[in-house]
Amino acid sequence: MRELGKEIIFGLYDDEQDLLSAVSSATHDHMDIYDVYSPFPVHGLDPILGLEESRLHIAGFIYGALGTLTAFLGMTWIFTKDWPIIFGGKPYWSVPAFIPITFELTVLFAAVGMTVTFYIINGQGPGVQNPILHDRISDDKFCIAFDTHSVEEGSAKSFFEKTGATLVEKKNI
Amino acid sequence: MTNYSIPSKQRTLLLGGMVIGAICLALTWFMDGTDHHMRFWTNFLHNSVFFTGIALMAIFFYAVCNTAWAGWHVQFKRVWEAMGLFLGVGFILMAIVAVGLVFGWHHLYHWADPASVETDKILEHKSTFLNKGWYLVSIAFIGVWYFFTRKMRGLSLTEDAMGGVKDFSHHMKTRKWTASFLPIVGFSSALVIWQWVMSIDAHWYSTLFAWYAGASLFVSMIAMTILILIWLKSNGYYPNLSLEHFHDLGKFMFAFSIFWTYLWFSQYMLIWYSNNGEETVYFNTRQDEYPVLFYANLAINFLVPFFILMRNDTKRKFGSLITVGLIVIFGHWMDFFLMIKPGALHTAHELGGHSHGGDHGHEAAGHGAAEVGHHAEAATGHGADLAHGAASTFEAGFSMPGFLEIGTMIGFLCLFLYVFYTHLSKASLIAKNDPYLSESLHHHV
Repeated sequence: MRELGKEIIFGLYDDEQDLLSAVSSATHDHMDIYDVYSPFPVHGLDPILGLEESRLHIAGFIYGALGTLTAFLGMTWIFTKDWPIIFGGKPYWSVPAFIPITFELTVLFAAVGMTVTFYIINGQGPGVQNPILHDRISDDKFCIAFDTHSVEEGSAKSFFEKTGATLVEKKNI
Repeated sequence: MTNYSIPSKQRTLLLGGMVIGAICLALTWFMDGTDHHMRFWTNFLHNSVFFTGIALMAIFFYAVCNTAWAGWHVQFKRVWEAMGLFLGVGFILMAIVAVGLVFGWHHLYHWADPASVETDKILEHKSTFLNKGWYLVSIAFIGVWYFFTRKMRGLSLTEDAMGGVKDFSHHMKTRKWTASFLPIVGFSSALVIWQWVMSIDAHWYSTLFAWYAGASLFVSMIAMTILILIWLKSNGYYPNLSLEHFHDLGKFMFAFSIFWTYLWFSQYMLIWYSNNGEETVYFNTRQDEYPVLFYANLAINFLVPFFILMRNDTKRKFGSLITVGLIVIFGHWMDFFLMIKPGALHTAHELGGHSHGGDHGHEAAGHGAAEVGHHAEAATGHGADLAHGAASTFEAGFSMPGFLEIGTMIGFLCLFLYVFYTHLSKASLIAKNDPYLSESLHHHV
């Protein structure tokens, strides 16, 4: 596994309500949270963490529009200039017949484009392994992690104790 | 403020709107250019179907949410109950159309004319379904819907009075009624829309029509709900109604606008592709003789909600929701205009001996099968003027919604809102004992 060279101290919580209050007290004390892990999306976590709204959907719109243009202009060129064929006595440029394919390509471009963009931005993809701090993060525990470079070990430990973490560990990733 | 009370200013405004509507209806009756008061009756049918349909969709969606164990809507479910109770008035409105049909006061439906049915093979063949008896059945179904609405409303009100429900027993009892309501609406909504709207183009049929018209009504209902809730909230009611609820309603408006477009296009493309004269006549008339309405229909009911509501934040702002809501309600009202008016005008020409369209009517009546031939020819683009004699000329109240149409719509809208607010004020705005109320109060998307 590729080492990130980071020393992480993390605490596990039993309940998402504990996690939410812990995260808000950490942000209140200006502690730099490395990351927060949970087995399912926790409502109201993003605004407390101060995460910005994702801009992925803007990319999605652009990919979709590209798909629309590719399909529509492509078919227009093929059926009027490149290789005109008469289908069912319809005109060469039959807009209603183009609509389903235009729709399909819009969806395809948007979906594939957004997936690829998402993987590239997050540094994920084939061969990448992400370090797992604790197995039960994907089961029933909620985790807050600090990088020991930005948050001192002592203050992290007292923070976890104060906010009711059930388990505190250190791990090199 | 747990109960809504109608301010006297609002009451005056709504009553004034109803007076405007009544005046417009009277004017259309006396100033009608067509025979048999066709303009009056089409306006009456158009608005009755539209607002009855909105009421049906409200109580239908209420039943869907209840059956699906949904909780997000519970906070404002009284709004849908009150909208659904308009069905009682809708029953009376549609009964007037039905009585007119039985006694021959109007000629909205070509198939109701015995002389035409006798000589027209297609109409004769369809007469097992397109007849006065089945029309009365379709009216009786509004009665059935109203009965179910009253039942659901009653159960909802008894829950309020029960003083704290410990288990789900009462909710389960309500579910029995809401769940059994769904298949009834599923089948009967198709039946009524075929009878009321599709059969105006008596020679034409489309299997997708009921879904398409239903989606149109559904979008209008959601838009109406959004506008009413914004109005109530800005007047201090529903303090716990949050942007999360409006976000969800906005998503419904966005999604069902696309669904409507999907059905509209599916119907259009299949008919365009098979190029069968019996079917293409519907779109041929609308595309050639009503081009502005035909393309505007797509633009305002698809492009506007699609591009405006696509973003996350526009579904969470009152300004954009109000704008789109108003536009799509008017757009779908116009969609129904386009479903009803061209066929009715054609029937008026066929039956009335009006200009030279009448000649064609007699000719067609004489040769039922030849009618289809005409339409096939029309569909290929050579005989459009043959099939519809006077249609290329402007006909007030048919070619475009005029002031009288808009006035009638305002009248019916005010009637709808008046009945709605009256029922809303009769019960507490919040169903305090609903087991899902807490979920609705904490709703988060």
